[in-house]
Amino acid sequence: MVQRPSFQHDGGAGAVTHKRIILAGVLFVAAFTVIAGRMIQLMGFEGEQDVRRNFAAPAPSAMAARADIVDRHGRQLATDLSVFTLYADAANVWDAGETVRALLGIFPELDGPALEARIASGRGRILIKRDLSPRQQAEVHALGMPGLSFDTEMRRVYPNGSAAAHVLGYVGTDHHGLAGIELSQDAVLGASAEPLALAIDLRVQHVLDDELAKSMAEFQAIGAAGIVMDVHSGEVVAMSSLPVFDPNNIGASPPEARFNSATLGVFEMGSTFKAFNTAMALDSGLIKIDDRFDARHPIPFGRFQIRDFHPQARWLTVSEIFEHSSNIGSARMAMVLGVDHQRQFLSSLGLLEPTRLEIPENGRPLAPANWSELSMMTISYGHGMSVSPLHTAAAISAMVNGGFYVDPTILRREPGSVLPRRRVISDETSAEMRRLMRLVVEQGTGSKADVEGYPVGGKTGTAEKPSNGGYARKALISSFVGVFPADAPEYLVFVMLDEPQPTPETFGYATAGWTAAPTTSHIVARIGPLLGIAPRRAPRDDDEHADAQGTGVAAMGEER
Amino acid sequence: MLDTYGSTRELRFLDKLKDFNWLLIALIAAIASIGFAMLYSVAGGTFEPRASRQMILFGIGLCALIVVALVDLRVWMRLAYPAYAASLLLLVVVELFGKIGMGAERWVDLYVFQLQPSELMKITLILAMARYLHSLTLDEVSRPLTLIPPLAMIGLPVILVLMQPNLGTATILGAVGASLLFVAGLSWKWILPAVGAVAAAIPVGWQFLLPYQKERVYTFLDPERDPLGAGYNILQSKIAIGSGGVFGKGYMLGSQSQLNFLPEKHTDFIFTTLGEEFGLLGAVTLLLLYLAVLTIGMMIAYSSRSHFGRLLAFGICVNFVLYILINVSMVMGVIPVVGIPLPLVSYGGTAMLTVLFGFGLLMCVHLHRNVDVPRHSGAFW
Repeated sequence: MVQRPSFQHDGGAGAVTHKRIILAGVLFVAAFTVIAGRMIQLMGFEGEQDVRRNFAAPAPSAMAARADIVDRHGRQLATDLSVFTLYADAANVWDAGETVRALLGIFPELDGPALEARIASGRGRILIKRDLSPRQQAEVHALGMPGLSFDTEMRRVYPNGSAAAHVLGYVGTDHHGLAGIELSQDAVLGASAEPLALAIDLRVQHVLDDELAKSMAEFQAIGAAGIVMDVHSGEVVAMSSLPVFDPNNIGASPPEARFNSATLGVFEMGSTFKAFNTAMALDSGLIKIDDRFDARHPIPFGRFQIRDFHPQARWLTVSEIFEHSSNIGSARMAMVLGVDHQRQFLSSLGLLEPTRLEIPENGRPLAPANWSELSMMTISYGHGMSVSPLHTAAAISAMVNGGFYVDPTILRREPGSVLPRRRVISDETSAEMRRLMRLVVEQGTGSKADVEGYPVGGKTGTAEKPSNGGYARKALISSFVGVFPADAPEYLVFVMLDEPQPTPETFGYATAGWTAAPTTSHIVARIGPLLGIAPRRAPRDDDEHADAQGTGVAAMGEER
Repeated sequence: MLDTYGSTRELRFLDKLKDFNWLLIALIAAIASIGFAMLYSVAGGTFEPRASRQMILFGIGLCALIVVALVDLRVWMRLAYPAYAASLLLLVVVELFGKIGMGAERWVDLYVFQLQPSELMKITLILAMARYLHSLTLDEVSRPLTLIPPLAMIGLPVILVLMQPNLGTATILGAVGASLLFVAGLSWKWILPAVGAVAAAIPVGWQFLLPYQKERVYTFLDPERDPLGAGYNILQSKIAIGSGGVFGKGYMLGSQSQLNFLPEKHTDFIFTTLGEEFGLLGAVTLLLLYLAVLTIGMMIAYSSRSHFGRLLAFGICVNFVLYILINVSMVMGVIPVVGIPLPLVSYGGTAMLTVLFGFGLLMCVHLHRNVDVPRHSGAFW
């Protein structure tokens, strides 16, 4: 019983406190009632319908088969396999010790004592091991131990290991997709028997993986990303993100390996953006290719200064600004057109929204919320704004394919199908861009990207990584975007290296021209023949020509 | 009325022991036993390593409870300010030298065991606020000048805990402090605008949340946006609770819990295992036990003659109820995930010991319910 106590002299506080204690008590009871109500809803009613259906894993027997995933030529990328899961029904096991000893003979990796203790408890259906092969299942059968039972489950298998792993994604133990195509097309794969054809070409994918891995090792980079894209159809023919994971054993991979840096990662692209700036300027009609801009002195802006890496310290034409990668000139070109023009142009290239690639891992670009004059100037040369490699590949394709932005796709597009595309620059501007990009490789920063027989056009991009609000001098993102054949491009190759280190062969440079550009060259030399592009007759020596072709043929042989 | 405090020391001790609210102790033990059983279950049917350790901790905590309860209430009152200052100091020490556990600096390594000063802070904040408010008349409570010290008492630890960062504990500290002002009779003229201001501040505060904290709120709004990442815990938790049904799947037979789908199932998410294995019945039983403990606690607050005792007991109750409401709401997906354990049930030393210490103070108020405590009681020590 609660006694109303006699208050000690307390200036009236006691009476009010008593009222409020009761009020608080009422509130507590109300809160408990609400919680209990929610609990009844969740466990009593929803438990029967909503929650179980939405969240619970399907029973193993009901596990539906999934359609295969194949590459553009029908090569298998993902398929289903029946596997067995071994359980012990503890109540039916006669002798836990003997059973566990017998199982250890087949599965030495099991934790014997712990398993024995659990079985000996005599309670429940204990999961012993998943993913038994038919042979292992037969061996367990042959033991003749009572209380052991199997469930048949479907297991997703990726016969090419980690090839295109970030595109494919992976499935969970419930056989439903958790990333990549497996997640985005989960319903389609679960419902259809027809294999799903991707735009990926497995042979090109292998070349890209191989060359990126080699470069990553050579330059001791911490990561790399690469994309090969059909510039006309927007199809992603190969896509890699390193480090990579094995979708057959997803648990073994660290989270950073599962990160798709080619689509989900966004980076400052550096000078690559000058291609967009130049195209914007030329396409506006306000700036002609031979117009000159004052690049004699750095541009002061508040406490910042916009300066050039290799100062020419003179007036430069639009063409020279692109070729020498002048930040000052780029910024001055952007200033002529203004903030709104720039934002609109970049938006038309899809650079302000996530791409619509058919996987869930599409990164949102980082653009300044307050697009100031200074932002405009830095963005003109690729700083102060971050986009994914895929954004870059799709937008550069539009620069060289006659001026159309095509939504990139990872699914195969039937030849002749209507493309989801829009004009972003004129045919003439596109032709000018092809010429300028070829110049960069012929005599500018991208000379190491060239391949005999496959003339490459492109642009280097080197950006310092942001660190603690500033930039880290020694941590670079070096990228090269190349298109070939340069005069009438069919394919685009994007290569990005994360923190490449200089080597003696690069004379202490880790910039894109020394790292990403030669990698692109190696890739083009190998995939050109695979993609059915006839090599051009080299204007010079026939031997060298034959040599280049030879590399390609050797590569084909290797991949087969 | 019997004069309990007149005669010799031995008698007083024995009388106090007789006067203990043994029902409260029994309820506490019952709740803790549910915890042992669940820890035994999630470990796959073994006492090692957690269930046995939890039992030992409970034993130590129970002894602490009895000792705390037997100390004179006035001694606790005198200790209030120094204890508050000490825990504030510890919080600063954590900020400077703390060990980082799961990305948050919340522990001081005391070599013997690791201490979470923010847990200690909850108790000492209640003590200090109760002491301060004890000395005020009803009119004084609502005067702006007299409100400054208690607001500072709440604000300092809240800021320090937010810096750790630990949003859950900071919220509890703020709420416990505010509830003491409320129960001390703060005028509605202050309460209503304050509630309005807090509501208005939520969008502003959102800007200051760390990315992971925002992520949790997004996840709360749509757990399936990242089913393998941030949303994993809450989805698995709902699966488990939902699959329990009315009667549960049976002890040690919860597949979600037994097959290791559930992370943190022995700490913050232990309620999930209870729901899966004992169903609605088990979960409601636990809630009723909590409600019974709370009712006794509120009766103790109501029955105390001294204002200090009332406030102290009430503060302990609020702290306890916030733990329960936050944890249970969290595992059911009603509020975003914050790291708040289920009191007496979740595995963990500091939480167990501080909760039992709090109940010791509650019992102490009960034993000293008829003691007069002078409004101005001597020195700060």
